[in-house]
Amino acid sequence: MDQDMQDFAAEVRRFLDAHVARAPDRTARPWGEGDDSMAYFSSLPPEKEQEFVRRAREWQRIRHENGFGWITGPVEYGGRGLTAVHDLLYDAIEAEYDVADTGVLSVIGLGMIGPTILAHAQPQVRERWLPAMYRGDAIACQLFSEPGAGSDLASVATRAVREGDDWVLNGQKVWTSVAQHSQIGLALTRTNPDAPKHRGITAFLVPMDAPGVEVRPLRQMTGGADFNEVFLTDVRIPDDHRLGEVDGGWTVALTTLMNERATVGSEGAGPVAAALSPDHLSALMRATWTWDDRALRARLAELLVDAMATEHLNARALRKLRAGTAPGPEMSVSKLMYGQNLTCAAHFVSDVLGPRIIADTGKWGTYAWTELLLATPALRILGGTEEIMKNILAERVLGLPKEVRS
Amino acid sequence: MTADDSELRELRASVREFMAAKSPEEAVRKLMDSEPRFDPAVWAQAADQLRLPGLAIPEEYGGDGFGPVELGVVLEEMGRALLCAPFFATVVLAAQALLASGDSAACARHLPGIAAGRTTAALAVAEDSGSWDPALVSTRAVPDGDGDGGWKLRGRKSFVIDGTTADLILVVARTVAGPALFAVDREATGLAAEPMETLDATRAMARLTFDAVPATLVGADGAGGRIMAKVLDIASVGLAAEQAGGARRCLEASAEHARVRHQFGRPIGSFQAVKHKCADMLVQVELAEAASREAARLAAEGAAEFPVAAAVAHACCSRAYMFAAMENIQVHGGIGFTWEHPAHLYFRRAKSSQLLFGGPAVYHERLLDRLGI
Repeated sequence: MDQDMQDFAAEVRRFLDAHVARAPDRTARPWGEGDDSMAYFSSLPPEKEQEFVRRAREWQRIRHENGFGWITGPVEYGGRGLTAVHDLLYDAIEAEYDVADTGVLSVIGLGMIGPTILAHAQPQVRERWLPAMYRGDAIACQLFSEPGAGSDLASVATRAVREGDDWVLNGQKVWTSVAQHSQIGLALTRTNPDAPKHRGITAFLVPMDAPGVEVRPLRQMTGGADFNEVFLTDVRIPDDHRLGEVDGGWTVALTTLMNERATVGSEGAGPVAAALSPDHLSALMRATWTWDDRALRARLAELLVDAMATEHLNARALRKLRAGTAPGPEMSVSKLMYGQNLTCAAHFVSDVLGPRIIADTGKWGTYAWTELLLATPALRILGGTEEIMKNILAERVLGLPKEVRS
Repeated sequence: MTADDSELRELRASVREFMAAKSPEEAVRKLMDSEPRFDPAVWAQAADQLRLPGLAIPEEYGGDGFGPVELGVVLEEMGRALLCAPFFATVVLAAQALLASGDSAACARHLPGIAAGRTTAALAVAEDSGSWDPALVSTRAVPDGDGDGGWKLRGRKSFVIDGTTADLILVVARTVAGPALFAVDREATGLAAEPMETLDATRAMARLTFDAVPATLVGADGAGGRIMAKVLDIASVGLAAEQAGGARRCLEASAEHARVRHQFGRPIGSFQAVKHKCADMLVQVELAEAASREAARLAAEGAAEFPVAAAVAHACCSRAYMFAAMENIQVHGGIGFTWEHPAHLYFRRAKSSQLLFGGPAVYHERLLDRLGI
């Protein structure tokens, strides 16, 4: 690491040491003690969720006041003007501390929509929203997907029609994380149905309290409601809330998608880390008297090989970043493997538990695994389906020809 | 000594260039039908021009003193090219066994010749079961009774890589103190070596019979188990690098074929079924490289996590190479199943490497054992 990075790392540690404690090692926690939650999605009751969001805003404010709210952002909007490598280094160091989970603000809002506003919004919109977002005051959501536009995002059908200085939006969005907490949403709309589908899209910043915006929780197969449907009925948006050119919204969307943050280094956190921990899994086998089952042992070994090789992949990508070089395809591979590893772990654990996972006996560390089991199908879909990720790897890394598309 | 990133890139480029010139497919095909199964002239050039045999041997024994990371780069390139040479047996198995024995007299006697490329060596552990577990060794060593500290070996070894050509043969044999390591000279009386027919014709293997063969103890009597555990970790990582290199080559061949081969009026790589097959290969290859390179790095640092990482690397790279070798044939279609196409050479190397040290069931248990499970 060069001197500049070392200085930055030391500054980060001084800041964190002054404000928070070191994180406990979740993978080393003793079997049978403490919370046995295996929830991948939050699925909190409303009052707990409000508290969760409050703590996230609070920690973001503290970060912001100490110069770590927006490490890569321009100084005039309260940013630090440093590089993505500084940002990742900060994340890697912060992961060692017991800080509030700020995912509700950062994953979509600060990580993806902030940079899009910066690149494409008009000056008064940038000034109005960027400092508020990075201070933790404004949460942003992404109004992209629709029932008819998932992986094929350019098929969006929500209409925006010009009326004087305003635009009127009508349509339905879906899979919108954090919409219930958001102050703004970035919407893709169809403004020209006659143009080729990528060329007739326009992007708008929608104040979520505008009349006609309705957020409805969408219950998913886990039983929780981490996503929402957002209905837009005659929502009036001033033209200065348009991002980019009329019919030029696809460029705006690409900015957002390209800013999908690197997930490297973040996988060690969260309760599900224990699902891939050798100690935790071996404790489970001891607790269920299955440790000498040869078939289960073979599966455990295979699972651990994949989990550890994925860790090695992340460690190498992180080391490259710290040395200031951009990693190659490691992050896409890592995302694919993360979903697969957790899926394998959930099914391995299910088979170790046997009937104990099909009905709740109240015993610690048994039925709780249903939370992970039921979340795993989502991991192969969210943030780009496995199929889309493989197309990207094959086309961009291996140079295979593009799929013939209509 | 540790090379930085640009030195590693330079090392890789020069080894790759050497392999392209000295181990193209025609050379591999010619050598796999000949005895010895390597070209002594090429071996001498590898030693004189690139100093490869001495790369990872300490400077005090005439080597260049680099470590497992640099060795891994060389092995990846050799694996890509299916090089037929006594490198793995001599440098990865035998030299590492000498170093692991801690016997400085034996090291001083044998390593300078190995480093200079004058001496080739083999490590004879497995017997007819193929197991590398020292506890299963039945070859026996007894003091020769001349009072000069010499020993005599009796028994039979199989699967000895480069066993018919190695100048020096290191043998794990049983004494009353337990398994121990012995050095035997190729010319020793009572030693017979015959080539074995091999699934992977690019890696020569032999059966050796010892009929009261004079031998020298290497390291302490009874230390064979400890030495072998160490060697197996280092060798697993070396083999993993070779496997990662071979897997990468299979991926490249498949991607190239998928880009240029047309069916139904378009390149086959534009069909999602083929595209995803290649993406799956890429995922395996990326994991394999990460696992083998990270294990080598941990070995170089003497990290406590190394034994676990070594088991992970061997398991991960074995699977990746086998997968890539199988899918490479599939992507090539019928042509990939022909003798003339090189795909089967990689398939043979992949399967043989996967099983060389006992196979998945053995190394999976090894991993769990290392993790205390």
